[in-house]
Amino acid sequence: MAGYAFISPFIIGFLCFTVIPMGASLFLSFTSYDLFTPPKWVGFDNYKAMLTDDEKYWGSLKVTFYYVLAGVPLRLAFALFIAVILNRAEKGVGIYRTLFYLPSIIGGSVAVAIMWRNVFGNDGVINGLLFFLGFDKKIFWYQDPTSALWTLILLSVWQFGSSMLIFLAGLKNIPPMYQEAASVDGANRFQRFFLITLPLLSPIIFFNLVMQTISAFMTFTPAYIISKGEGGPLDGTLLYSLYLFQRAFNFFQMGYASAMAWVMLILIGLVTFILFKTSSLWVHYESKEG
Amino acid sequence: MLMRRFVFVSLCILLTLGLFGCSSNTEEAAGADGKKKVTLRVAWWGGQPRHDYTSKIIELYEKEHPHVKIEAEFANWDDYWKKLAPMSAAGQLPDVIQMDMAYLSQYGKKGQLEDLTPYVKDGTINTESIDEKTIKGGKIGDQLYGFPLGVNVLSVITNDDLLKEAGVEIDDGSWTWTDFENLALEVEEKTGQYGSNGMHPPDVFFPYYLRTKGERFYKEDGTGLAYSDDKLFVDYFKRQVKLVDEKASPTPDESAQVKGMEDDFIVKGRTAATWNYSNQFAAFAQLTDAPLSLKLPPEQAKEKALFLRPSMLFSIPKSSEQKKEAAAFIDFFINNEKANALIKGERGVPVSSKIAATVKSQLSEEEKKIFEYVERATEYAGEAEPPEPIGSAEVIKLLKDTSDQILFKKITPEEGAAKFRKEADAILKRNQQ
Repeated sequence: MAGYAFISPFIIGFLCFTVIPMGASLFLSFTSYDLFTPPKWVGFDNYKAMLTDDEKYWGSLKVTFYYVLAGVPLRLAFALFIAVILNRAEKGVGIYRTLFYLPSIIGGSVAVAIMWRNVFGNDGVINGLLFFLGFDKKIFWYQDPTSALWTLILLSVWQFGSSMLIFLAGLKNIPPMYQEAASVDGANRFQRFFLITLPLLSPIIFFNLVMQTISAFMTFTPAYIISKGEGGPLDGTLLYSLYLFQRAFNFFQMGYASAMAWVMLILIGLVTFILFKTSSLWVHYESKEG
Repeated sequence: MLMRRFVFVSLCILLTLGLFGCSSNTEEAAGADGKKKVTLRVAWWGGQPRHDYTSKIIELYEKEHPHVKIEAEFANWDDYWKKLAPMSAAGQLPDVIQMDMAYLSQYGKKGQLEDLTPYVKDGTINTESIDEKTIKGGKIGDQLYGFPLGVNVLSVITNDDLLKEAGVEIDDGSWTWTDFENLALEVEEKTGQYGSNGMHPPDVFFPYYLRTKGERFYKEDGTGLAYSDDKLFVDYFKRQVKLVDEKASPTPDESAQVKGMEDDFIVKGRTAATWNYSNQFAAFAQLTDAPLSLKLPPEQAKEKALFLRPSMLFSIPKSSEQKKEAAAFIDFFINNEKANALIKGERGVPVSSKIAATVKSQLSEEEKKIFEYVERATEYAGEAEPPEPIGSAEVIKLLKDTSDQILFKKITPEEGAAKFRKEADAILKRNQQ
């Protein structure tokens, strides 16, 4: 009995904030619900309208995939790069580790997104730097849909801290004897990195890849703040979750938004499944070695 | 062992106390004047100046009515509506909510708002010096879903220094759209500044353009778009594109960079004219160094295109448990001189003619301009627009997106016209069901 009492905070929280809302959202996704009048059952209409008759929906999907496909690999590469450097350093690692991790702690916050908007503003730091370097023409980062999206991608790359820490831990776990043996055999630094470090680190890379992909698909705050809730210019930063939010809270279409959320869940599941399928091709587990 | 039990028991006591502490005190004590104590929740949107003076009005009200305690809930425009919808779903709407014409149908027709007619009839809201036509602005059918707080008229706000520098004058009784275009081009040529801002947002000024051509934006019953000739849409946006091309209007990107009134083009002296509702003039005049004035927009006379519009309304939700007290607060807001001395017409020219006269006499020359402008416009004003239909939030966003696509040259005005018509009609039809 006491055992149940001890786990009850989790169980109650899980029921109230996960299971019941998800059930409700699944039900609502088959209804037309405007928050004011009771939901009306419409079957698969929301799903049908979304997939066949909503240009903006497909636009937001495209933007989201662009964001994920460009952002996640860059972020992981950057995290790995810094982790390798920190792994080799001998002095001041603690300080640098903290400094590099800082952007991730404050990462999801509104303040950072507002700062980012100003950094890339027409009179922002980036244009100031470019001017200093001799470019006298200002770049209007938010005028073009692609460059506006890239400011979001760069923001996500900048927040590489958590993957970096995991990489760092992984690197520390690689026994130094492999490296030593290789260098005795005459392998140079690059060969050692690509032929020894990377394969041994691949389970960690895989873990980071899956986690970061999932969270990238769900990105909301920076897009909302930087585009002031609009997803502009020309829907260039209209990430999936931002469009979902607009449907729900600007247009009062809770049913449609719920349907979008479920399609997103299925999509993320699918992408994760594919990643797991490919893992046997490149992820190297020591236990498999026989 | 004993110690442990002691700690356990005292922790339990603390916990229970804590729980009681959290539960709200539901009992209502009688106030000093014998009336039952009530707590009213009042919600509005706006900028910092509005929050400041409205809080002062609330203090004033609480002082005069000691049995009433008011909880203020305020936010900027965007966040306000995002907060209101879930509150409404939970039956937790504040007792007095500031309403906009764009949302009156959404909330009124879907049974969220109380008809205020009984409170007008029994005198809780005193309408002695308020024109019946003004009150009608808050009605859908014969249900008074919101009480208008002030009157607004569309206007062109001009920077007189820039106009003088360019050597142009506006005869706003008779100028045409072509005059407006030429003026903007000339200002750009002579001064290097913009002749006009981009006429944002399009959902305000495109319908006005239609009115000058004797057409309407929405059908009366809200089932679709009323104007039938897409050439009107094309002409309107062609002019916009031309002005942007000739650098007589800012690009949509530059407009998007404007974060608040403080860095608006007119405030920075970068444009000779800006399009806005008359009540915005006060804040612009305060922030701008150059002298500003209010002009009637082009071609308003022929079709009586101008109209008086409730700048905002106060509504009482059906779910409120103290509707009468809420109505009394609305009355105070509309009819109390001291309250309106604080508002100074920032919520539009007061609906009560008595109050409007009193307030006007207390204002500075700049602030008076709004009152004079609205008086002048009233002479020309035609029939008001009915409240916007359900689904208009989506149509407005669609028009804005389409306008952006045209100005960014992703589509031509012709393509935009066809696309907008098709999608807007679909949205409005869907919301009829």
